[in-house]
Amino acid sequence: MAEVDASKVVVVVEDGSRDEPPPSSSSWKPLRKAFRPYVSPSQSSTASSMQSSSGSSSSNSTTLRVIVKRPLVARLTKGLVETYQICNPTFKYSEALNPKRFLTNPSIGVLNDGYDNANSDLILHVNFELVNSEGKRRYIVKDMLGQGTFGQVAKCWDLETNNYVAVKIIKNQPAYYRQAVVEVSILHMLNQKFDPDDKHHIVRILDYFVFQRHLCISFEMLGSNLYELIKMNHFKGLSLNIVQMFSKQILRALVVMKDAGIIHCDMKPENILISTSVKPTEIKVIDFGSACMEGRTVYSYIQSRYYRSPEVLLGYPYTSSIDMWSFGCIVAELFLGLPLFPGASEYDLLKRMIQILGGQPPDNLLRDAKNTNKFFKHVGSIYHLEHEETSKEVTSAYRVLTEEEFEARESKRPSIGKNYFNHVKLEDIIANYPYRKNLPEEEIIKESLTRLALVDFLRGLVEFDPGKRWSPLQASGHPFVTGEPFRCPYKPPPESPRIPVIHTVTVDHNPGGGHWLAAGLSPQVSSVNKYLPLNSPHFHKVPMSYGSSYGSLGSHGSYNDNTGLGSSYGSYGDINSVHAYNSPVGPCGFNMHVQVGGPFLGSSPDARHRSQLSHGTGFGVSSFRGLAPMSLGASPSQFTPPSSQMQISSASPGKYGPTSPVRGGARGISLGKAAAVGQYNKRTWGYPTMCMQPYGSADHGPGFCGDGMSCSQPDAQFRGHGGSPHSAISSSSHSNWWQQMGGGNGLSSSLNLANQKSYPVPQAQNSFVVSSHSLEVPCDKPEGSSSLPDPADWDPNYSDESLLQEDNAEVSSLNSEFANCARLTDPSDEAVLTSGIGRYAHNQAHPSTKFLSSNQRTDGLRQTYSFAENYPSTSHDMRAGNGRPTQFLQNFPSRFGQQSVHRYNYMNSTMHGERSHQYGQPAYSNYNRADSHSSANAMFSNSMPWGGRVGHSMATILPTSKKDYGKI
Amino acid sequence: MPMISSNPPSGGNKAQQQQQQEEMESSTQESPLNPNAFTFDLPHPVYAMAFSPSPFAVASSCSAVAAASPRLALGSFVEEYGNRVDVVAFDEDALAFRPDPALSFDHPYPPTKLMFHPSPLPPLLASASDSLRLWHLGPETAELRSVLDNSKSSGYCAPLTSFDWNDEEPRRIGTSSIDTTCTIWDVERCAIETQLIAHDKEVYDIAWGQAGVFASVSADGSVRIFDLRDKEHSTIVYESPRPDTPLLRLAWNKVDRCYMATTMMDSNRVVVLDIRSPAAPVAELQRHRASVNAIAWAPQASRHICSAGDDGQALIWELAAAAAAGGSSEAAITAALEGIDPILVYTAGAEINQLQWSAAHHDWVGIAFSNKVQLLRV
Repeated sequence: MAEVDASKVVVVVEDGSRDEPPPSSSSWKPLRKAFRPYVSPSQSSTASSMQSSSGSSSSNSTTLRVIVKRPLVARLTKGLVETYQICNPTFKYSEALNPKRFLTNPSIGVLNDGYDNANSDLILHVNFELVNSEGKRRYIVKDMLGQGTFGQVAKCWDLETNNYVAVKIIKNQPAYYRQAVVEVSILHMLNQKFDPDDKHHIVRILDYFVFQRHLCISFEMLGSNLYELIKMNHFKGLSLNIVQMFSKQILRALVVMKDAGIIHCDMKPENILISTSVKPTEIKVIDFGSACMEGRTVYSYIQSRYYRSPEVLLGYPYTSSIDMWSFGCIVAELFLGLPLFPGASEYDLLKRMIQILGGQPPDNLLRDAKNTNKFFKHVGSIYHLEHEETSKEVTSAYRVLTEEEFEARESKRPSIGKNYFNHVKLEDIIANYPYRKNLPEEEIIKESLTRLALVDFLRGLVEFDPGKRWSPLQASGHPFVTGEPFRCPYKPPPESPRIPVIHTVTVDHNPGGGHWLAAGLSPQVSSVNKYLPLNSPHFHKVPMSYGSSYGSLGSHGSYNDNTGLGSSYGSYGDINSVHAYNSPVGPCGFNMHVQVGGPFLGSSPDARHRSQLSHGTGFGVSSFRGLAPMSLGASPSQFTPPSSQMQISSASPGKYGPTSPVRGGARGISLGKAAAVGQYNKRTWGYPTMCMQPYGSADHGPGFCGDGMSCSQPDAQFRGHGGSPHSAISSSSHSNWWQQMGGGNGLSSSLNLANQKSYPVPQAQNSFVVSSHSLEVPCDKPEGSSSLPDPADWDPNYSDESLLQEDNAEVSSLNSEFANCARLTDPSDEAVLTSGIGRYAHNQAHPSTKFLSSNQRTDGLRQTYSFAENYPSTSHDMRAGNGRPTQFLQNFPSRFGQQSVHRYNYMNSTMHGERSHQYGQPAYSNYNRADSHSSANAMFSNSMPWGGRVGHSMATILPTSKKDYGKI
Repeated sequence: MPMISSNPPSGGNKAQQQQQQEEMESSTQESPLNPNAFTFDLPHPVYAMAFSPSPFAVASSCSAVAAASPRLALGSFVEEYGNRVDVVAFDEDALAFRPDPALSFDHPYPPTKLMFHPSPLPPLLASASDSLRLWHLGPETAELRSVLDNSKSSGYCAPLTSFDWNDEEPRRIGTSSIDTTCTIWDVERCAIETQLIAHDKEVYDIAWGQAGVFASVSADGSVRIFDLRDKEHSTIVYESPRPDTPLLRLAWNKVDRCYMATTMMDSNRVVVLDIRSPAAPVAELQRHRASVNAIAWAPQASRHICSAGDDGQALIWELAAAAAAGGSSEAAITAALEGIDPILVYTAGAEINQLQWSAAHHDWVGIAFSNKVQLLRV
């Protein structure tokens, strides 16, 4: 050790210059003793002289540097472990022993080998590493942004991009896993296909993978949400400029979603986040965890209460128009600072709607809605009503219950919230909302006019009749959004959705039903039922539960031949380009087409059928597999469907919207036809060429894909229908075919449904089984559940109103889009009018038959679609592979559709059959296992492999699809 | 005794001469030898350094040392297990250092920090390395009073990067560790009062602001303030512009508790923070020409801070009176763009590793560079 006494004491001579005054604490100044005044290098030669001096001492300093490699402070902080290990080779330090700051609560490992807590949440702590083993991407958990029923959202540092991202870590439970896969597939599709340039204010999905049996989804990091913004504004309304800007941006997202056939199902201020990284300020729609595809609506208990649409509240089949209702509520809340319908209960919510808006949901809705009796009293006769529909009388056969009546029926008093506004009617609430202080007179006049526009705008959004409610495109043309002067009530260009369409029937399920599970039927079957509905007690709309939907997705690929193929292919294509694309995408594509086609409602059900068929056949499309992982063996209990009802989703909201009184009759008819067709169809299937889907023209397909809204499609479809009656038939046949298939194969159903409980329906006439119900079960979301983590959590940064800037460009684009849309719609409408057969036709006239046909059509379209968009080249190849001439695509849209069908057929029947089998089987096996093991764990174990493969959860699906594709 | 430094004593003199020559060149009015800088040579580099509290006489065993004279504890930096803490007194009358071998002792690992008990009694010195140790500097000898170690895994050790003795509540010592935690010790009971996971990465320094409030800096690049009354939350008052740029040192202004200063690794900047306006530093002092290694607020004035670094310079800065206000003058604008200039400079002959400003003797600043310790009169 140092010999202290040997150390030298060097005393520097003092100069005795102690002439400075003693320091005082108040105005202490250091004296020029040891220190000398600092001279800026730029002001003198000091720098050079100092450098020279240091240069002259370089020998010494060099020696020093060798000894002291780095500043001691660094060696005793950053390099402390290293330093101490040099000092003592036995020194041991383990980072792993550091106390962990757990972010997950509870943080006790109970499940999944101790990785998960009792809630099946992955136990996270700071610096926890999430690894995408596939892409070798690593994410370091830094903080918790929020927790929900679905799992957790963590703020993570992305080591690859050196950016923060928000990673959603889904619970290790099949139901949540599956739902999250849907979210991924939907967002992936929206991002890649419909919004590749990130112009539509939809959150970007950056990555997804399975880690420790948890699906993890990485999103761009955003800021606070609109609720927080309002809160920061002390619940005072935002300025109309900002309301308008946000409205415009949200509409851009809604337009894309509708084009894609996506229903968000949980639009609310909390799910709209401000992106602080962008100037001018932008918002983004997040949380597609509740979203579904139109025509695949599974849950009836959706949307957060304040923003819940009347049709959802009443248990009526819903479409993307429910998002427009929510949007209207959001816009009103942005202006008012408080929710427009802060219902303390569903009854309170309904009463508020009726009071504020006047009127009530249309009778056709009330007649068919599942929950009507809960809130309304039937005071008239149905027939009477139908007549009244034609006349403009607004009288209704239903009267909303009084509080007392409600209490009598429900045996409990409804919760009634207090009123926050001094006025009752919407017009008065808006007009009398306090103006900002110190507004000059002219500004007040100006704003009062804008408020009139706002009222008119809201009237088109919070419209009881989903069929009359404006579409996003229609709303985008409103003067309130465009900024044009508001002179008279806005009359949006007609759009197909506004045409009354037959509604699919909802079926009530018995939640308890072990039936679901028991039924070998696939959910898809249920869709079949739709076709057949008359006989069967339950009409399913599109009862695809998620599970089923997934299955269907996959299945689509496989069977859908028409649709399915198209879609699945599309997905494959995506996969290649992107990474993994889930089969769901395919379906989405489907839906999208459908939507575009507005007229094609039924399409989705068909697709499902097909898919099931494929399964049954054993041809299962690879896509299925993808789904398979998703499928939960999940225990029914967990996933009990929110409402027993299965909604048959029709693809386009419009269709659903107004139910046509005729339906009943129509259905019956349709059934009859369907049955007949069924056989026919089989034949068709057998012969790929036979395909009925006349619709899609090659051109159409691509067009759709690109724009999402192509006018041409409707026309094409329309033509198709008109031209080929067969198509309709074929569609029906599909369903039949499927049915047969389904019946034959217990496997198929089981696969799809692992989660879903399908119950076999005795095949009455149709021999269709209704299984759809089961699907719903797994995915249920309680109201709260769907909601993402608190927006507040997302980003501490708060953007002030002032930050918000308007983007004028958007408006113009919207307008143009709108114009396009208008065109599109028009043709379709005409078509409808002209041909009874057209989609519309079926809606109104022959609902059932048309349904089928429409479905097929859609399928055809979709297929074309997918081909065209995804891989034009590929599609050709595929065709070639099939032996089908590519010609079809170009020459005849309808044929195009056929082609797709052909593929499909191939897949199932002949050439492809083998391939599909190969691929399909593995998937099946997984599924089967899942099914067999009712326990969630078992499911997982099965699914795990997937995850492993996946690395790409999506990938799992993809690989198969890719293979198929390639082979094809 | 391992002599890490090959620097002969004369080297120090030479460096000093050079330094003073240079001073002569730049400001010719001073004599070749700086009359207000006093150098103590050691056989090894010094890192840890501590000034004793004011009247130290009571516990002093060295009769020769005046009661009011500053004392220094100096920790060696030798890359061996065996290191050394020397206690040295400075006789202000004789202007000479007087080592106190009786109170010097061996120390495991190079101490990362040394600190005397805030008040003269009891005569305790704390040191940090693999553990926190309390040494009683008795009249005759220094003896190890206690080892405060909270490692739970035998064989493994989470060394301490720093600590701070709470001068308002001398029972409390807060330590910072690379295990991401800060531990608050009750040194009277030799028990842990609390241990907080303070950061997401290693904690490099800690400083008390009040009896129950401390701040810490970390490899995660943040400065966080903790209030022991609410241990669940911390306030991040600063984050380095590039995430995960380590912040190595932290100094809390004891006169005006609104201000603290921190240094970044491999950075020539001193970041001065006003805890009333988090996130945006009130000043960035960037006149060092190499990385800053140490900072110390003037113990008697609210707006003066000294910094020292690898450029061999110790700079004294005077912060603008209305740093927060920004002012309207050109000077304010210039300051905003380029930062302010220090008012005084001292040039040592080598990289300055340590800097302490004596709380008991406000006019003494101690610096450590290579094998030397210097006391500078300010």
